[in-house]
Amino acid sequence: MKFRLLTLTTLAAAGIAGSAFAADTVKLGYQLPLTGDTAQYGQDFRKAAEIALTEFNAAGKPFKVEIVFEDSRSDAKEGTNIARKFVDDKEIVGVLGDFTSGVSMAAAQVYKEAGMPQLSQTASHPDYTKVSKYQFRNIATQAQEGPYNAKWMAAKGFKNVAVIAEQTDWGQSVVSGFSDAVKANGGTVAFSEFFNRGLKDYRSLISKLERAKPDAIYTGFFYEDGAQFLKQLQQLGIKTPVYSTSAAYSPKLIELAGGAAEGVHLTSNFLPTDPSPNVQHFVDEWKKRSDGAVPGQFPAQAYDAVRIMLAAVEKASPNPTREKVRDALAQTKDFPGVTGKTSFSADREAEKELVKVEVKGGAFVPVAD
Amino acid sequence: MFDPYYLQQLAIGLSLGMTYALMAIGFTLIFGVLNVVNFAHGEIYTLGAFAGLVLISATAPPIVAVILGALAIGALAGFSLERIAFKPFRRFTDEASLKSRAMRESTLLSSLAVSIVVREALEIVFGSQMRSVPFDYLINTPVRVGPVILVTGDFIIFGVAAAMLIGLQYLLTRTRVGLAIRAVSNNPLGAKYVGIDTDRTIITTFVVGSMMGAAAGILMGLYYGAVFPAMGFTPGIKAFVAMVMGGLSSIPGAVICALILGISESMATTFVSSGWSDMVAYGFLILTLIFFPNGLFGARRERV
Repeated sequence: MKFRLLTLTTLAAAGIAGSAFAADTVKLGYQLPLTGDTAQYGQDFRKAAEIALTEFNAAGKPFKVEIVFEDSRSDAKEGTNIARKFVDDKEIVGVLGDFTSGVSMAAAQVYKEAGMPQLSQTASHPDYTKVSKYQFRNIATQAQEGPYNAKWMAAKGFKNVAVIAEQTDWGQSVVSGFSDAVKANGGTVAFSEFFNRGLKDYRSLISKLERAKPDAIYTGFFYEDGAQFLKQLQQLGIKTPVYSTSAAYSPKLIELAGGAAEGVHLTSNFLPTDPSPNVQHFVDEWKKRSDGAVPGQFPAQAYDAVRIMLAAVEKASPNPTREKVRDALAQTKDFPGVTGKTSFSADREAEKELVKVEVKGGAFVPVAD
Repeated sequence: MFDPYYLQQLAIGLSLGMTYALMAIGFTLIFGVLNVVNFAHGEIYTLGAFAGLVLISATAPPIVAVILGALAIGALAGFSLERIAFKPFRRFTDEASLKSRAMRESTLLSSLAVSIVVREALEIVFGSQMRSVPFDYLINTPVRVGPVILVTGDFIIFGVAAAMLIGLQYLLTRTRVGLAIRAVSNNPLGAKYVGIDTDRTIITTFVVGSMMGAAAGILMGLYYGAVFPAMGFTPGIKAFVAMVMGGLSSIPGAVICALILGISESMATTFVSSGWSDMVAYGFLILTLIFFPNGLFGARRERV
């Protein structure tokens, strides 16, 4: 049960199934939650990774890549165990994941000691890349997103804002990244509070928040919590505008919240409606594997993260080592992904371009301001 | 003038407490009144919600049919749960086994095992993400009562919980079935000696309690508009706390304590961060256990 080896390989199609561990196969590890409360995210990452991997292995490169998926259940202890396992496997030259900042940072301690490059598609806590020179991420941090959103809201004339976020490492970085920027712009934060992830009833919190009479509400939540929050906001008849981070950018938010999601503003770096061919290709592949559902931002980031890692492995070959892959990752410049062009800065942060989005007529629509 | 803010918080607390009570009633019937350790009630709740959702997406029936469907699944689930996780431990009918605490406590693990299997199976079949309930079925249209805003679901849940409570009290105190349930819970061996069909009594209790759990599940699904495999966990904990605070065997006690929990959570949100409001509720539990070891409404009696 603990160490379930879930999916191993998609390279059998190429006809070398018998020699999976031959010299022309490079192994990568991917730690992600495949069961438990956050399994839906991990399942999406695996799907995105499989799309990227199938494409890579079908492209006639001189070597094949295999990804070992391990289930961390979003549990820091489990994440650390997987990290040790990956480190002990001498054939693994790079690791993707984990999902949450907390687990990614716990595993990062192991990767730091072993000199294993780690690229997370979603860990956005500022301290994650500060662990060592082996940690990379493919997501805008709250240190980037907070000020961006603060400026956006200030431009709309919202001076007095409330901010709420989930009680996690990530949620704390949402509040601090945003609140500092609001104060620097001369605004005031009228209300600031954390809630427990998975809370069902936000009505007490909403009533308390409304007592502070904010012009707008800035929120750090994922789509499950977001949908409940927005529905209950509507139930209580509150019309205060809501702004959120790219973490809430998922078609499921609109599906679950329905009309209550109308008018929510948030940022994103992936738009499935973008007509560029690589985005449309990814969206088509995704729909084929998900009964026609449109991907949200997180799967897109995972798809890009896997492709960035694969490009780094290719650059580091022949005979890629962990050190060579790390250096190749660090040199990533203007990687053309579905979430825009990605370059890693000197401190291994992905420099992402953010897009402003509003929910209109039951869809995410890009807006100019 | 009294601040309408506090009235609104009180109303939210009562509505929250009602949702806990709805779950606590069936849970207390099996765990508390029948005195059988059962940790699979949360999954019965989830199964009820999924049964309703599947029915809605397949045939879009009227809401009463959805609830009846959930009740049927609940009854079936309760019967199967008893068969799989409880009956095997009653196969020894000698006096030593019947008196053995270990035999009765072992259902803690067997019911927990069933609950894990059910949850993971639901995850494999439906995926672990939240599924939305079609908006026509939701019971959360806002209703304004004076300065306070509630939703239609609050009144439905109040009605259902009250009906369950009164019905069960009648069953337990005024009917022979109720008498049999209390006799089996009090002394299974003695009940057997005076000619009560203990097996049948236990199965009946499981079926009734699980139907209530399933009804709670589908109502909560329609109330919050989201159904997912892990949804039974938190309400299960809250129901457990309410049951322990209420003195285990008292269903009205569990309902009152569920309301206390709900109100203390919503009121606590006013004074401390929302992230800490759970702690206030659990703080109450600890205080209750220290000062009233038998719960607020419990009678002194030997427990498993």
